[in-house]
Amino acid sequence: MLTLAFLAGFGLAGVVADLDQVVRDRFDGTRFRVPSRVYSAPTILYPGLDWKLVDLRGALARLGYRESARTGSLPPGQYHWDARRVHVHLRAFEHPSRPEPARDVVLRLSGRNIASISALPSGRELGAVLLEPEPLGAYYGPAREQRELVALDEVPRHLIDAVLAVEDQRFESHPGIDLRRIAGAMLANLRAGSIRQGGSTLTQQLVKNFFLTPERTFRRKLHEAAMALIVEARYDKGEILEAYLNEIYLGQRGATAIHGFGEAAHLYFGKPAAQLTVAESGLLAAIIQSPNGISPYRDPERATRRRNLVLDLMYEQGRIDAVRHDQARDEPLRLASVTPDPGDARYFLDLLRRQMAESYAAEDLTQEGLRIYSTLDRRLQALAAKSLQEGIEAIERRIPALAKAPPERRLQGCLLAMRPQTGELLALVGGRDYRVSQFDRCTQARRQSGSVFKPFVFIAALEPAGGVPTITLASRLDDAPLAVETPSGLWRPRNYDGEFHDVVSVREALERSFNVATARLAQQVGVKRVADVARRLGIESPLPLVPSLALGTAEIAPIELARAYATIASGGVRPTLQAVEDLVDRDGHVVDRRRLEFERVLDPGTAYLATSLLEGVADHGTAAGIRAGGLRGPVGAKTGTTDEERDLWFVGFTPDLVAVVWIGFDEPRSLGVPSSVGALPIWRRFVEGATGGVVRGRFPKPPLVERVAINPMTGARALAGCPEQRDEYFLRGTLPDEICPSGGGESSEFLRWLRTRL
Amino acid sequence: MTRAARVALALLLSVFTACAFTPLRLPPSPSLHLSELADEGDPIRQASLELVLDGLAADEMGELRRAQGLYARALQVDSGNPYAYLALARHHVAGGDSDRALEHLARARDLLDAYEEMSPRVEVHLVGLRGAALRLEGRTAEAEPLLARAADVAPTVWRDGTLDASELR
Repeated sequence: MLTLAFLAGFGLAGVVADLDQVVRDRFDGTRFRVPSRVYSAPTILYPGLDWKLVDLRGALARLGYRESARTGSLPPGQYHWDARRVHVHLRAFEHPSRPEPARDVVLRLSGRNIASISALPSGRELGAVLLEPEPLGAYYGPAREQRELVALDEVPRHLIDAVLAVEDQRFESHPGIDLRRIAGAMLANLRAGSIRQGGSTLTQQLVKNFFLTPERTFRRKLHEAAMALIVEARYDKGEILEAYLNEIYLGQRGATAIHGFGEAAHLYFGKPAAQLTVAESGLLAAIIQSPNGISPYRDPERATRRRNLVLDLMYEQGRIDAVRHDQARDEPLRLASVTPDPGDARYFLDLLRRQMAESYAAEDLTQEGLRIYSTLDRRLQALAAKSLQEGIEAIERRIPALAKAPPERRLQGCLLAMRPQTGELLALVGGRDYRVSQFDRCTQARRQSGSVFKPFVFIAALEPAGGVPTITLASRLDDAPLAVETPSGLWRPRNYDGEFHDVVSVREALERSFNVATARLAQQVGVKRVADVARRLGIESPLPLVPSLALGTAEIAPIELARAYATIASGGVRPTLQAVEDLVDRDGHVVDRRRLEFERVLDPGTAYLATSLLEGVADHGTAAGIRAGGLRGPVGAKTGTTDEERDLWFVGFTPDLVAVVWIGFDEPRSLGVPSSVGALPIWRRFVEGATGGVVRGRFPKPPLVERVAINPMTGARALAGCPEQRDEYFLRGTLPDEICPSGGGESSEFLRWLRTRL
Repeated sequence: MTRAARVALALLLSVFTACAFTPLRLPPSPSLHLSELADEGDPIRQASLELVLDGLAADEMGELRRAQGLYARALQVDSGNPYAYLALARHHVAGGDSDRALEHLARARDLLDAYEEMSPRVEVHLVGLRGAALRLEGRTAEAEPLLARAADVAPTVWRDGTLDASELR
């Protein structure tokens, strides 16, 4: 008998030791797998800013700010908007570059602009304030659990009181199981004739969620009780409560499970847990029992009744006084608007994941709770997605046959935007529908570039490599038929209009995108130099050294073109593409900060001449359609349509923004429209929305570029008396030798031009 | 008192009064403090400059990461702000990163030239910082003349061969 008892005791000790090990492994190790989250760049508000353009109302709504009808004092997270001013109590937030305290501010409005920003109550004028970055998404593990960890000392006492009042009122005193509660539950269940009440303590609920399955068996209940006792013996009440607050399931956001009060506070009230009111805390405690059944979104009346029950319990247990109880009960249910699905940023999230894979294991991204502060501009991203979607639909309306293809074979496109000076990626939409295809056409697809490659030919010719440039902007180019011997036979380029144009100006050649003049120029400069320029500017794809390279036969990714044009827009300085600014670990330490990097790859003078040429394309060339909606200000742009209209490109830039649009099929086939009809309107829609129709700033002219009058017919320098004059830009030391009117005889080019017109 | 003495006294008094009520005009400092530009340019440039000044204040307090982030914010508002690049160059010289400092200096110079905002008062910082960056690289022979030139122009700031955040702010 003694032996039997000994063996039983020994066996029991073994089981307890095993359970203890399980508990310690989980509690002493990483308790929670927290997915890494990605945030947008913060919105910066400052006097002079067009508040409509930055969609201030939309940004406040997306960030969970609540509009208040009353004026006067407002709590953090609320705003009052009237015709002349916006009073907003900005929430405090942590940001690696500028942690912001909560600020009560007044934005005075003057038309579309913010006239001034002042702090309350001092009235001190502020130069700039930041809105918190907007969440773009997260990298989930297989369980798709989302949580924001909170420390016990960060949550308000009334939240803890609400949870304890309804879930475990003797939590502070029991040893892990509450015999009185179990007995009470058993009695209630016997009376009801079915299981109506549970007797689990918080510790038991935590143990069940952490270690056990939800099955209702006696054996599982025994394990639960034993482990609850072990947890209580090993860890203090504070640790257990904190773990519970972070673990408990509190609802769904789409396919994602929301765990813990930190995340739930954001989901239901759009604010951090630290800022929950008594009534809000009561509601969150109320839904623990059945987060989806009592969801305040689904059944607000039921949720409010249950919340009031929790508030009553808090009062009865002496956790709140009568005044707070009554105030909380009277508080109407005010939920955060449902956060819009950041689905349009998923191509961007995938790009980040691929970039991060170089430094972080996939598990780190799904478990380590990194905060990734990206460069993405939430407003531009939404605008890019909308512009692309509407643009593709417009093409399909024009050519109805295109719309009849099955989803995986439908017309596709991509749009990306970056800031040329810094290389920050501002928007990226890699396809028309992420759910149908996750292939990112902006960064993963390489397609023939067509005429958007041509500027590299002109830059190679304008660049004074070895001292003297091949051409100046006053030069005239030959657009006569051309035949070039190649290993695969004679190559005879033709123009889009099927004509030859004899002699044309440099500007005309690019503005009208003449293939033959460009091919001849490339022959003159040398294909190798053209490829070298493209490489320096940022093209990384293979560039076959064949004559047709000049006309864009090389296959290039849109993101490469964006970088190359950004280099032109920023005066010859090539930026390093930047999608992430800061990486912060779960303890708030900045573990990685991406630095601004750039390199001068083209002299500023040549970059300016190229910019000026591309401004001409945008103002009166093939890209002039961008002005159709009234877009004003400095823009450089180029259209590109490949053979049989298989790929439509549009690349355009302002001093602050470069955007690339590509339209085509994944398996190349003809679209039946050129770039000016298919891609240009998408770019125009995007940039009009981004800039409000007025592009700020200018492309600054470097000191070594001179502006001189020329005769456009001959390229000669124009003096007083010259019949036709136009200003043109030249690198210092490259002014034309010929003078108009000339002392003796016209230049041979002029005679040739004259002959063609007689 | 003789009449001449009274006239002399009156003259002296009037000169004294004039001096007392005329604001003293000091010659401008030979080097630029960015806070002097706070009210210049369009609102976008002003907001961007405000963030640069915040960044310099953070640099002054040794909050280097925060400072760098603020310069990035300044460029988010106005990516062509040459003073943001200038402050970044100073930040990198102080942090011992000469490569980045030189990159940012070149960018600042290009933009100042292009926007015709170059002046001897800002150029002294470009010259001095270039000298300081080259000295970091061990290129003393190139660095010393530049630092000496900066010290000649703005001795109170550049005499020690460094530019503190407060001196640029």
